[in-house]
Amino acid sequence: MKKSLKLLTMMVATIAFLTINMAMIQKPGGPWDIPAKYKAMKSPLKANDASINSVGKELYNKHCKSCHGSKGLGDGPKAAKLETDCGDFSSKEFQALSDGELYYMSIIGRDEMPNFEKKIPDELDRWAVVEYLRTMKK
Amino acid sequence: MRNNIFIKSFAFLSLSLLFSVQGMTQDEATEEKPVARPARPAFESGLLFDNATTTIQAQKTLEMVIQHRFGTMDNGISDLYGIWAPSNIRLGLNYSILNNLMVGIGTTKFNKMQDIQIKYNILQQTRSNSIPVTVSLYEVIGIDGSAESKFGKNYAFSNRLSYFSQIIISHRFNDMISLQIAPSFTHYNATEHPVDHDRLAISVGGRIKVSPQSSVILLADFPLRIQSISEHTEAVNDETGIAKPNICIGWEISTSTHAFHVYVGSAQNILPQENMIFNKNDFFDGDILIGLNITRLWGF
Repeated sequence: MKKSLKLLTMMVATIAFLTINMAMIQKPGGPWDIPAKYKAMKSPLKANDASINSVGKELYNKHCKSCHGSKGLGDGPKAAKLETDCGDFSSKEFQALSDGELYYMSIIGRDEMPNFEKKIPDELDRWAVVEYLRTMKK
Repeated sequence: MRNNIFIKSFAFLSLSLLFSVQGMTQDEATEEKPVARPARPAFESGLLFDNATTTIQAQKTLEMVIQHRFGTMDNGISDLYGIWAPSNIRLGLNYSILNNLMVGIGTTKFNKMQDIQIKYNILQQTRSNSIPVTVSLYEVIGIDGSAESKFGKNYAFSNRLSYFSQIIISHRFNDMISLQIAPSFTHYNATEHPVDHDRLAISVGGRIKVSPQSSVILLADFPLRIQSISEHTEAVNDETGIAKPNICIGWEISTSTHAFHVYVGSAQNILPQENMIFNKNDFFDGDILIGLNITRLWGF
């Protein structure tokens, strides 16, 4: 009787442990459905524009760092609480995305990724953030 | 034949001229004037200690405000530098109806003050400085919720009302430095003798950004003693004095949805009209206290 109770307790604990861990595993974001209008967009800023490391950096730190981390590695303090993996901005795959794709993903957003159109109302400021993401390339 | 060629040539020239004029008119009509880029906000939140700033959150944004003022540090370690002393707290909600219009309500512990606020930006600084300043009109109506006995024998509800009207003028010099200057007029429907019902004041505030998310913030409210608008003689005013300046220095941390202020300042009242009329704490005499502000934004 004692043995079976011990076995049952172990089974329940194992199931609970697995359930909690399964729930905590983050899913990859999956492909983005980006409208052609955004895909075709080109950044109006040159790579050496002064606003990238001033405005872009400041806005990134204010709005993005808490999830995406200071270097864009997806290791910000809030990242672990998200259901979706934040991705790695320094990766080749991310940096290969077009300007317009980065703009859509950063500013328009989807699901857990918020929309920043109201919080960053100026178009060139938005591009400064997008260009700041480019500086995170390894 | 000659006439025919002349008429055709004239018609062609006339039509060409007409089309070219029309084309020019259309070009002028479709040529949009370049829109001046608004400057980025001079301050991270709509709050600077006990004062308002020219910053109004985006349309349809709800802002929750928590303002906490500990007691003064006069008693030293015996009340942990004011932390265990009676404190004042205000809870408020502000809502941006438009990008340049905000309304708010709040409730404060001291005097059970209830307040209604409205802030309207009439000018927005541009990045080119074609408009060099942002200008806000700011109004706070306070309703004192104290017991009727506070207001004497001839009680009327209107005795509870006070008004704070301010013009806030800010300038963002660069990404690091912003300043604002704000003249104000305060009126109380009822005050105890020998406190004036009216007070003109001037407030000066600023921000020095030291990292992308952190700033040193400063503020000084100076109630002005103007004998010509005082109800009392110079001798009475000499004896009683007016409210002391509220001086604050602190640290601001801002995130996407929050702003935090941790600071030392002299005024324990939170509504600006209360500070302009009743503040008796003298910053330079050591009457200082620790204050905290927290704001949280929700977009709709």
